[in-house]
Amino acid sequence: MEIVYVYTKNREEFGRQCLLSDRPVELLVDIPPDQNAASNFIQRRQRDQAVQTLREQSEHQVNTERVEYISCGINHVEGGWPKDINPKDMEQTSRFRKMAEKDESYMNSILQLGSVTEHCCRQNNAVDIYQEYFEGWEEVEVSPELPSAKTINMFRDPNEIKRTVTGLSWHPDGGRKLAAAYSCLEFQKTSKDMSLNSYIWDVENPNRPELTLKPASPLVSLDYNPKDPHTLVGGSYNGQIVYWDTRRGSQPVEFSSVEQSHRDPILLCLQILWWDIRRLSEPTERLVLDPGREGNLDRALGAISLEFEATMPTKFMVGTEQGLVVSCNRKAKTPAEKIVCTYDGHHGPVYALQRNPFFPKNFLTVGDWTARIWSEDIKESSIMCTKYQMSYLTDACWSPVRPSVFFTVKMDGMLDVWDILFNQSDPTLSVKVCDRALYSLRVQDNGHLVACGSQQGETTLLEICAGLSTLQKNEKSLLAAMFERETKREKILEARQREIRLKERSRSEQSREEEIGRDDGEDDPDQLIARAESDFCSLVEGGLHRRERREEDVLRVSHSYSPTS
Amino acid sequence: MDYYETEEDSALTTFNVEEAKEIIRSAVEGVVGGNVYQHSRVKQWNSSVIEQCLSQLNKLGKPFKYIVNCIIMQKTGAGLQTACACFWDNSTDGCCAVKWENESMHCIVNVFGMAI
Repeated sequence: MEIVYVYTKNREEFGRQCLLSDRPVELLVDIPPDQNAASNFIQRRQRDQAVQTLREQSEHQVNTERVEYISCGINHVEGGWPKDINPKDMEQTSRFRKMAEKDESYMNSILQLGSVTEHCCRQNNAVDIYQEYFEGWEEVEVSPELPSAKTINMFRDPNEIKRTVTGLSWHPDGGRKLAAAYSCLEFQKTSKDMSLNSYIWDVENPNRPELTLKPASPLVSLDYNPKDPHTLVGGSYNGQIVYWDTRRGSQPVEFSSVEQSHRDPILLCLQILWWDIRRLSEPTERLVLDPGREGNLDRALGAISLEFEATMPTKFMVGTEQGLVVSCNRKAKTPAEKIVCTYDGHHGPVYALQRNPFFPKNFLTVGDWTARIWSEDIKESSIMCTKYQMSYLTDACWSPVRPSVFFTVKMDGMLDVWDILFNQSDPTLSVKVCDRALYSLRVQDNGHLVACGSQQGETTLLEICAGLSTLQKNEKSLLAAMFERETKREKILEARQREIRLKERSRSEQSREEEIGRDDGEDDPDQLIARAESDFCSLVEGGLHRRERREEDVLRVSHSYSPTS
Repeated sequence: MDYYETEEDSALTTFNVEEAKEIIRSAVEGVVGGNVYQHSRVKQWNSSVIEQCLSQLNKLGKPFKYIVNCIIMQKTGAGLQTACACFWDNSTDGCCAVKWENESMHCIVNVFGMAI
C-alpha cells in the first residue's frame, strides 16, 4: 500500500508547543452476547486427523499362459552299474551282483531297512482306511431347496478354428467319459484348415482329450454302443457311417459309403440302421418317408432325428425337417405299411425326439420354439406343450432318473430344466451356460451331470442339484395320472372336433349355394395366414407388455425404497 | 498577533467525524457487504477495509495522521466491548467508530485522526 501525502507547514509553526489534554474513556462498541446465535453452533470437541507414512504402491495381476501337463510314471528296475561293467554282459553283471551281496555294509543296511519296512507294512494293514463306516444308514430326506445347477467343467475344442459340438454321448458304464462330435453345421463353410477330429474326453481332465477320433470327414453325430462300452458309431458329414473301437486307437475300424448325407444313425446290438433324406440304402432297409404313404420319392421328407427304444425293437420314430413325426414299424413287409402314423408336430424341423424312459408311450419332441409331449395314441396334437420361448430350441432329453424332468437347450445359450409336475408353463430352472448357441445336450445315466455343447466348440459339464436328480416319492404314479388325464382330454377334444366336422359337412352338403364358412381347418389360406400373423403379433406384444410392466414394477419398488431421489 | 481560526481553517484543521464515518461505511459495504462469515476470507476482508479507508482518508488532503483499526467478529453469541481513551489535542484531533453488521458477523472500524 503506497500512500504518499505531501504537505506544507509554515515555518513559524514548527516547534509549536503541543497543547495536549486527556480525553476520558469512551465506550466505542458494546455488543451484548446473544444466546440465539450461539445455538447455531456446537463446540467441536474432537478432531480426527489421519496420518500415514507409506510409499505409493500399486497392484497388478498377471496370469501366465496355460501350460499343458502330462502325467507319466517311471519305474526303476535295475541300474546304477559302475563304469567298468557292461550292463548288457550277463556274466559281468551277475559277478558284480554276487560281490555286492557279500559286502558287509550291504547286509547291515538290508537288515535295518527290513525292520523299518516291516513296521510300515504293519501300520498299513492295521487300519482299513477304505472300510465303510456308515453302512445301512438311511438317506436323509432332501430338504426343499431352490433348484440350482453348477458348472463343473468345460472342455474346449483344442483346434484353432472352433467348430460346433453337434453330437454328445456319455460312456454307458458309469459315465466318466464323454464323446463329442465336432463339425461345422453351416453349409459349405468348412475351410481347408478345419480339423476333422472328434474327441473323447475324460471328465476329470479338461485340458487334453483322452482320445482323438480321426474320421475321413467331420462327424455330425456320435454314439456309444449301450451294450458294448468300447465301441462307438458316428455319422459323418459326407454321409458315411464310421465305427470305432476305442481299444484299437483313433482310426476308424470300419466305414461304409452312402450316396447322400444323413444325420443321425444309431447302433443296436451289432446292427446298424440307416436313415437317409431321400432314400434308404444298403445294408439293411429301405424306407421312404412320405406322408401320403405312397412311396413317392417327390414327397419324401427329410429326417432329422431318430428315436429308438431298446425294449420295443420293432417300432421307432423319426422326426423330420418339415415338423412331422413319423412312427414306423420295422418289421412291416411293404414300405407302405412301414409308416404306421404321423404326428403333426412343429412349425420347424424336429430337432430332438425321445421317449420317456419310464413311460414309453409318451415321447418328447423339440422343434421351433416349443417342446411338446405326446402320447402315442393321440395323433392330432400334443398332450402338453410349453410356452413359446424367446429363442429356438435345439435339443432336449429326459432325465434318466426322474420321469417328470427334462432338459432343453436353446439358441441363446440357455439350458432349461423343466419339471412337469411342478410347473408346466415355465422352466423350473434356467441356467445361462454361455453366450453362444447351444446345439447338443446329453444327460448322464445317473441324472446328476449334464453335458451341453455350444457353437464355439465348448462342452460344458453341469451338475444338477440333488432336488432335481433324485426320484421323489409318488412321482411315477403322479406323472402317470397326469399323462392319463391329458391323454383323455385330448381324446375328448379330438372326438368333439370330429363331431363338429361331420355336422358341418352334412350342413354344407344340404345348402350348397350359400357357402357357409367351413370349419376352421378349411379356411382360405390367405385368411389363415393373416389370422396366424395377427395372433402371433398379439402374443408377442402381450409378452413384451408383460415384461415391461414387470420391469416398471421392479423400478417402482426400488424407487420407493430409496430415501432420497 | 492573534491567531483566529476561521471556519474554513477549522474545517481544514479539525478532524471531520461525519466525513470519516461516510468513508468507513462505504468501504465496509463494498468489501464485506452481503457476505457470510468465512474464516478463510476474513483476513483479506480486514486488509481491504483498512486500505480503502486509509486511501480515502488520505485523499481528503488534510494534514492528519490516521490510525484505522478494524474488527470483524463472527456472530456466535459472544459479547464484545471496546473502549478508548486518548491524550491529544482536543481541538484538532478526533476519532470515530462505525459499527456495521449483517446476519453472520459484526464489523467495527475505529479511525483516529491527529493533526500534524
